[in-house]
Amino acid sequence: PPETRATAWEPIRRGPAPLTDAARLCVCDLLVAQCDVNCCCDPDCSAAEFSLFTTCSVPVVTGDSRLCSQKAAVYSLDVEANPPERVMKLIDQVNPSLFCIHATNYKQALSFRPPEMPTSENFDQLLKKFGSATFSAEPDSWGMNSDAPNPSDANETYRYEHGVPIQTVDAFLRLPSPVVSSWCSDANPAGFLVHQATKCTRPVSVEECGSIQAVSMLFYINSSILAVPKSSQMVNITVQSVALQSLNGTQTLLRSSNVLRHPMILDGLCINIVLGVSYHITYTDTGEITEAAASFVLGAIDREALSIRQSFEISFTQVNTNPVPLSGNPGYVAGLPVRAGFKPQGYPFPTAVLLSALSTNRYGQLTILQSTASQDCLMAQEARTPVLFGYDMISGCKLRITAAMKCQPLTQALLDLLKGQSFPEYVASFGNSQAQDVLDWVPIIHLHTSEQGSCQIPVALEIEVKWTKYGSLVNPQARIVNVTATTTATTLKQLPLGRERTIPITTSVVFTDVSSPAEPGYKAWPTINAKLPHDFFFPFV
Amino acid sequence: TTSQLSSVPLQILFYVNGFYYIFYFLATLAMIIYKSQVFSYPDFFLAPDLALLCIMAILEALRLYLGSKGNLTEEEAPLGLSLALTVGSVILSVYFLTWQTYVLRADVVINALLLFTYGLEAVLQVLAIAAFV
Repeated sequence: PPETRATAWEPIRRGPAPLTDAARLCVCDLLVAQCDVNCCCDPDCSAAEFSLFTTCSVPVVTGDSRLCSQKAAVYSLDVEANPPERVMKLIDQVNPSLFCIHATNYKQALSFRPPEMPTSENFDQLLKKFGSATFSAEPDSWGMNSDAPNPSDANETYRYEHGVPIQTVDAFLRLPSPVVSSWCSDANPAGFLVHQATKCTRPVSVEECGSIQAVSMLFYINSSILAVPKSSQMVNITVQSVALQSLNGTQTLLRSSNVLRHPMILDGLCINIVLGVSYHITYTDTGEITEAAASFVLGAIDREALSIRQSFEISFTQVNTNPVPLSGNPGYVAGLPVRAGFKPQGYPFPTAVLLSALSTNRYGQLTILQSTASQDCLMAQEARTPVLFGYDMISGCKLRITAAMKCQPLTQALLDLLKGQSFPEYVASFGNSQAQDVLDWVPIIHLHTSEQGSCQIPVALEIEVKWTKYGSLVNPQARIVNVTATTTATTLKQLPLGRERTIPITTSVVFTDVSSPAEPGYKAWPTINAKLPHDFFFPFV
Repeated sequence: TTSQLSSVPLQILFYVNGFYYIFYFLATLAMIIYKSQVFSYPDFFLAPDLALLCIMAILEALRLYLGSKGNLTEEEAPLGLSLALTVGSVILSVYFLTWQTYVLRADVVINALLLFTYGLEAVLQVLAIAAFV
């Protein structure tokens, strides 16, 4: 074909030849076809423009100064003449040094090497050499190995590092989160050891119940996680627990959590749609994921709903550890839950026990009754809120007493309501108290105040937490020294038939600072410990 | 009269040439090293220059020895051989004067001096051979 023949005869292209004529070189000629100010060597300037100059910015133009004799162009302004004119002289400059270059037989000796012109033959080699951010010194040897996989990488074991996205079979483990607006974006990867908790809004409707993927459980446990990056070892995501949330907000934990529930339409509602996912990833200390579990909260939407709010969370646990979240280190931090526990029978040490269950994973916290919207004591079951250090709280509900209620069951129900299913016996003194240190736990003192009467029902529980500042003056740590739980009871008077009474039931928590005023302690003055050796006065003593 | 035929000026010249050549060899070597550090001196050009300098040194030693021996023993053969080697040395000196990669002014000076010495020696050798024959 004629094209290839033409390229075969194409001459080798070179760059422009270096300019070495001193008379034609002009360093200050920067503007093309325009006169540069004070540039005496500029060929674009006319005599009239030269007369306006004040000095010559480049007085001498020479070649390489190491040559024995070379031409030099000297530019100067003759200010005596009227108008001033530029004078150019071409002189022979002689280098007096003995080691000046008399002659060279090497053409490229005195100028920089012109760069190689890319042609179709050397383009790949030039690209490898100069194509990246740094120029490689050995293009030929590297060019051969770059395509083959590096054998040293095969033996290197991959592992997850902090912040690296967790890889699944197809892409990454997704944690939908709001991006610009509050709408969910499914492109947020979960990072290894990066605890994230996000909430976002997703548009749904009852008609599209079965077709939206992101509200179905399968979407979140479908792809298996790779145990280490770029490996074939997979870890399936298991369903740890499923909680069903009804339309009015009450959640119930399901017993059998192995069954995958798909969104479906039932009685005009779309049920089994995912309202929240909480991933729990277990990892080893070599950066390998061993287990993955997901806890779901499924809910239902009715016909008027246009969007739902989904919440996602991911947490990481190291294998063979049971982390207990600290409430301070060592002193309590305001806003973190007060830790509490029990001393099991026959066991000298208190152990922190799961106090509030359900779908969250909180350990060993002191809890009080949580007020609900309905304010009816007998309906508010199992809604407790943890006591946060430093925050005085009060909560309560209203109890409707009818004539038919008996004393003893009512007392028991109210006690359960006020104190919860398992009221702890000990409270941690410091935020990081370990279960083994008995002395770091403060026993809860129970007091009762009651009136005279036959039937006493507890109506109020007041927890007073006395704390003190402990430690250094500049960084005092909060320490709980005393916890007193006072139960107040009133007499239940028998009501006539058909009449009702409403009494308020309250729970309150008060934090009192009982720190003694600080006394700064100063260090002792340094003493000079100069003792003479015992045989100092040897000949005499 | 049995006058000696050995040429005294030639012998003096050989003697001085020996010392001068040692100086020449060291100076040229030092300047080649200097050039390789200061200028761009690729290996492709450095190797021939160094090789020719070494060959010139060997040639020079041989030439001075043969010439001196021939002159002192009044034999034409070694002196003739020395004359032939002088031609070779002259060519090498001209190389270092004009065809070297970098010719410095100092190179010009010492090579010119060496060429002058060779010229003088060649004339005296021819005269000595003519006298011996």
